[in-house]
Amino acid sequence: MNRVLCLFALASLLPAQSVTFDRLVHALSEQQNWLTYWGDYSAVRHRDLNQINTSNVKNLRADWIFQTGQTGSLETVPLVVDGVMYLTAGNGYAYALDARSGRRLWMYKHAFPPGRKANAPNRGFAILGNRLFMVTPDANVVALEARTGKLLWQTEMAEFHNGQYTATLAPIVIKDKVIVGISGAELGIRGFIDAYDTATGKRAWRFWTVPANGEPGGETWLADSWKRGGGSTWMTGTYDPRLNTLYWGVGNPGPDLDGYVRKGDNLYTCSLVALDPDIGKLKWYFQFTPHDTHDWDAAETPMLLDLNWRGRERKLVVQANRNAFFYVLDRETGEFLMGKPFARQSWATELDAKGRPLLMKDQEPSVDGTRLCPGLAGAANWMAPSYNPETRLFYFAVREQCDVYYTNPPVYIEGRPYFGSVSRGVTDEPEWGLLKALDPLTGETKWDFRYFHAPWAGTLSTAGGLIFAGDADGYLMAFDAKTGKNLWRFSTGTAIQNSPMTYMVNGRQYVTMPSGSAVMTFALPVE
Amino acid sequence: MRIAYTAALVLCSSLAWSQTGADLADGQATFRGNCAFCHGLTGGGGRGPILNSARLAHGSTDADIKNVISAGVPGTSMPAFDFDKDELARLVAYLRTLSGSAAKAAPVAGDPVRGRKVYERSGCAGCHRIGTEGSVYGPELTRIGAGRSPEYIRESIVNPSADIPQEYGGVTVITRDGKRITGVRINEDTFTVQLRNASQNFQMFQKDEVQQVIPETKSLMPAYSSLDKDDMQNLLAYLDTLHGDLNAGAAVKKAEGIR
Repeated sequence: MNRVLCLFALASLLPAQSVTFDRLVHALSEQQNWLTYWGDYSAVRHRDLNQINTSNVKNLRADWIFQTGQTGSLETVPLVVDGVMYLTAGNGYAYALDARSGRRLWMYKHAFPPGRKANAPNRGFAILGNRLFMVTPDANVVALEARTGKLLWQTEMAEFHNGQYTATLAPIVIKDKVIVGISGAELGIRGFIDAYDTATGKRAWRFWTVPANGEPGGETWLADSWKRGGGSTWMTGTYDPRLNTLYWGVGNPGPDLDGYVRKGDNLYTCSLVALDPDIGKLKWYFQFTPHDTHDWDAAETPMLLDLNWRGRERKLVVQANRNAFFYVLDRETGEFLMGKPFARQSWATELDAKGRPLLMKDQEPSVDGTRLCPGLAGAANWMAPSYNPETRLFYFAVREQCDVYYTNPPVYIEGRPYFGSVSRGVTDEPEWGLLKALDPLTGETKWDFRYFHAPWAGTLSTAGGLIFAGDADGYLMAFDAKTGKNLWRFSTGTAIQNSPMTYMVNGRQYVTMPSGSAVMTFALPVE
Repeated sequence: MRIAYTAALVLCSSLAWSQTGADLADGQATFRGNCAFCHGLTGGGGRGPILNSARLAHGSTDADIKNVISAGVPGTSMPAFDFDKDELARLVAYLRTLSGSAAKAAPVAGDPVRGRKVYERSGCAGCHRIGTEGSVYGPELTRIGAGRSPEYIRESIVNPSADIPQEYGGVTVITRDGKRITGVRINEDTFTVQLRNASQNFQMFQKDEVQQVIPETKSLMPAYSSLDKDDMQNLLAYLDTLHGDLNAGAAVKKAEGIR
């Protein structure tokens, strides 16, 4: 470890190097940095840093706090590149900070055309070369110079249409393209995934997540319902460089709670799509929730794992889906391998051999209300899981919360919710949450830790034997990865709505957790 | 041309008509999703006041109703709702179809004067406040006659656990030395719990320093199912007369630091 520490210390004294595609591919060999939204391309969110560990985490303390001063809760996961932290905030703001002190290097503010609302969160940057890429609430992709925060180019993904099209995700860079998704399935959009040239901002390809009539999959939509079929792509995809395949979770169909106007399976909503990132062509898809009427999109992290699956090494993609099932697929072919419930669910009796759910009776939203678990926000959601290669466990936040779902035929008005009525939390029981350690080979729970409220924060795994996690009451917590014992906690003062990350500068390990409008960074006291 | 013109007129009028129908259906959906839990599926009341009588407590004009929905009612469990302008208009239009659907409310049978004696004799003021009298440990009753139907109040007396307002949920803490402390849950998170006991004192605990924290599934109020029929009717008649100003009790709560 000492030798490794020395190397890190040396690296931080060198002038910042350009972040090449090769560095992104090997992001996990730069343990001191955090080069993509997920920390690498596979989204394991595990770091081989063990300075902070199960023995000393009790001494962890706040080292610095950066106040953005912006409204809204930060949902960003910062990048750290050679001692510089790059982060986005809501409403088109972004910052570069000294990662050791939190002191600001520059700030960027997106210029909105007059009359456009700016209230949307943002989840972070992507980087390539000396360029940073982010999206804006009015659905632009923006490239900034990493050294100065200066705007290099800006491209509109889709016309604003009274706020119908928005964007919140952190982009992903693959080779010379920056790849992004869109939000707005609640407002009657037709979703897509776009790739833009990192140098010029020119669009290279578009993959429509809702096929038109006549295209493959178009037959799964009633009449012209595909035109407003939703299928947002509001979370970042993952990427396998060896298979040259991009994996992206697609959102719910629209209108959300009224399926009558869009009879059919509604491809590729609530699916995982595997794309060729060079040309944007579909390689395979797997639909978790055909004809969804509960807003259970598939935007949750598609984590890439290479595991020994029942006797042979296989390339897998796993996802704890919003619909309360944990899925394992073969990521070369899309073959369904396993699906097991990880939370209470009252909508599917089982999954068939191909992973298609067999529905319980009376699980559709209704005029008088249908009580169903999980609730609209799902048993899992966009908060990131992590995987520890030593314990071989998958750590994630579970929401135990049920809703009453109502339905009503929606009226489409541009820029207005196209939702098909509402859902409402049940009143006959309180919600709660779990941090769960699950064996991805079996779907069995190894341990869990109960939260008082259903959480909105993800997890981070480290070689220090720790899992960092957050809850809806504002606690940042550290757990023993093996046993689930809570070893440390810090009350950040407001609900945590993103996922922790870690990095190292000059031989010192830091853990960062944005909470509210502040970026909070923790470290052990300097001896 | 004339045919086209006539066709356009017919189309327009049918559009206007269907728009109204859709508006009401939309308003109903909003009502069922957001209001019905407290006010009943048809506005007949429950945890929240009756909405199907022609006269509403906070004013009966469209503007009054919109104001109550958008701003909430301070000091009560009526929250502020963030509906957009059109959605709010559709909701109010739907509410209008409910008003007057209730038969003209007759006064509750029974003798309010005797009912007041039942109230005093039964020790209700030990937990409830009317005006400036009594405790604020339990829900305030200053305005209960305006806010709740007699059926709901009767149920609350004989079976208080049938519906427990969230802000009066109970919690019991068992300390390491085996002491049981029960109170109204003021706040709770993964690691701590704060409650207000019957003596109106805050008690605060770290969960790892106590034996157990048990959420109370039953109401902290005892069931008064042994009241005889006349006493019950008189008590209901008395409570029905209570249409007082909530601010009296709210001021006491504020002074005592109770939310």
